[in-house]
Amino acid sequence: MSAPFADTARSEWTKFRSVPSNPRNLVAAVLLMVGLGAVTARGAGSGYAAMPQQARELFDPVHASLYGGFLFAQISVGTLGVLMVGSEYATGMMRTSMTVVPRRGRLLAAKMVTYGLIALVVGVVSSFAGFLLGQVTIASGGAPTATLGDPGALRAVVGMGVLWALVGLTGVAIGTLLRATMSATTLLVTVNFLIPIIGPRLLSDAAGNWLETYWPISAGLQIINTVQDPDRLTPWTGLGLMAAFTAALLALAFVLFRERDA
Amino acid sequence: MIKIAGLTKRYGDRTAVDGLTFTVEPGRVTGFLGPNGAGKSTTMRMILGLDRPDAGTVTIGDRRYVDLPRPMREVGALLDARAVHPMRTARDHLLCLAQTNAIPAARVDEVLELVGLTSVARKRAGTFSLGMGQRLGIAVALLGDPKVLMFDEPVNGLDPEGIKWIRELMRGLAAEGRTVLVSSHLMSEMALTADHLVVIGRGRLIADVSIDDFVRQGSDVLVRADDQDSFAGRLTELGATVRPDDDGGLVVTGLEPREIGRAALAAGVVLSELTPRRVSLEEAYMDLTRDSIEFQASAA
Repeated sequence: MSAPFADTARSEWTKFRSVPSNPRNLVAAVLLMVGLGAVTARGAGSGYAAMPQQARELFDPVHASLYGGFLFAQISVGTLGVLMVGSEYATGMMRTSMTVVPRRGRLLAAKMVTYGLIALVVGVVSSFAGFLLGQVTIASGGAPTATLGDPGALRAVVGMGVLWALVGLTGVAIGTLLRATMSATTLLVTVNFLIPIIGPRLLSDAAGNWLETYWPISAGLQIINTVQDPDRLTPWTGLGLMAAFTAALLALAFVLFRERDA
Repeated sequence: MIKIAGLTKRYGDRTAVDGLTFTVEPGRVTGFLGPNGAGKSTTMRMILGLDRPDAGTVTIGDRRYVDLPRPMREVGALLDARAVHPMRTARDHLLCLAQTNAIPAARVDEVLELVGLTSVARKRAGTFSLGMGQRLGIAVALLGDPKVLMFDEPVNGLDPEGIKWIRELMRGLAAEGRTVLVSSHLMSEMALTADHLVVIGRGRLIADVSIDDFVRQGSDVLVRADDQDSFAGRLTELGATVRPDDDGGLVVTGLEPREIGRAALAAGVVLSELTPRRVSLEEAYMDLTRDSIEFQASAA
């Protein structure tokens, strides 16, 4: 890490923490992840008793403790990513930032690294919390629970944190591409929430199946499964697909960020 | 020192800056003047690498702005004082900018003191008045203690006290040997601040002169003499430009009244009028830019 890059990253951290709504949104993401996670896990656990034997074998307490919370937490995480760039365009601060750091690649890279790390660290921590609390609420419904020592459990919990970082970086990329906070947030919610959740219900079986397998966020979420669905990608392939999608968006963001007039 | 050579910027089919060439020298305040829309802000954005020129170069001391390793330590700029996140405190705003150029936090408190914002350092920038915002913008420019300073319309919307403060600050910075470029569309303001003028209109250079020469260029002498035609010829030989005015007098430019009087004495011509007409800076500026004003009210 070259010194100028470290300086720029330090500046981005100061920018992030010094706007009060940023830490607040991050706390909201943690509460959604852990709180809603616990509630949905409880729901999944209490449904276990009524399940037929076949469904019981597919019951995945790791997935059950992480999925519901993440679905909502990621909106906050992604929006914060959008704001890393979008709020600077909205306030005019971007021109000042580009003046003091005329190497635009460095400026955008510092934003990505800083926010990527914030999302990763907070994501891993709240993923652990969500997992542990989720197991408690699942147990209260009488369903079997998991421990971190179970096969794939640690991978799932840490992978959930990685997914936080990827969603955050997608937000940074979309914010950079659109330069407008509102439309970028709308696009982000559409891509990561509406399409993967509502899409399969509206489309034909084949198209819906494709969506559930290959749509970036759906593929990425395979990382929290410890029971493999043969119709879906494996955890690492899925996460890799999501990472590749994010990387492509980031690359496009870099090109435009460097080419455009401020 | 800022060197601009052949600078050109087009937006679609409109040429905002058109082959601009001039140098901003250290140790004086250079006023960058032109009507609204003349291309002043575009030029300043290109100096800072915010906009990319279609042709031409800008160098600060021999280097392009983007090649400066710690740009804030070489160039300080105030482009738009409102370009601040309203929820960030003044001190955090300065701190995050200082960190990019490895400027110590102690310097942040120093410039806050310098611009008189210490007491509101922990207030959110969004709560600032126009004048306080302008001071914060100037604090940003001063953070790196740079040799080159640029201010885009710094007195816009300020009260008289604020205007006086900025004027004295700019003069003080130039007196320390720094390069100071300040844009304005108001000649009256520049008359009090600048030593040198760069005037542009429709993106082209109109004048690059000292304030004194600028006034002299616009001044002339009204002359009435007995033998007007032959005296006009004599003055032309001496290098003056002579044209008749509506009342039968001569309008002479390029010679001082004393020189004209001496020529009359030598030629034995009797003068009945010798009136120096010194135009105001404002008039000279209006004359110069009349043809390049983009939006002009038609004469009723």
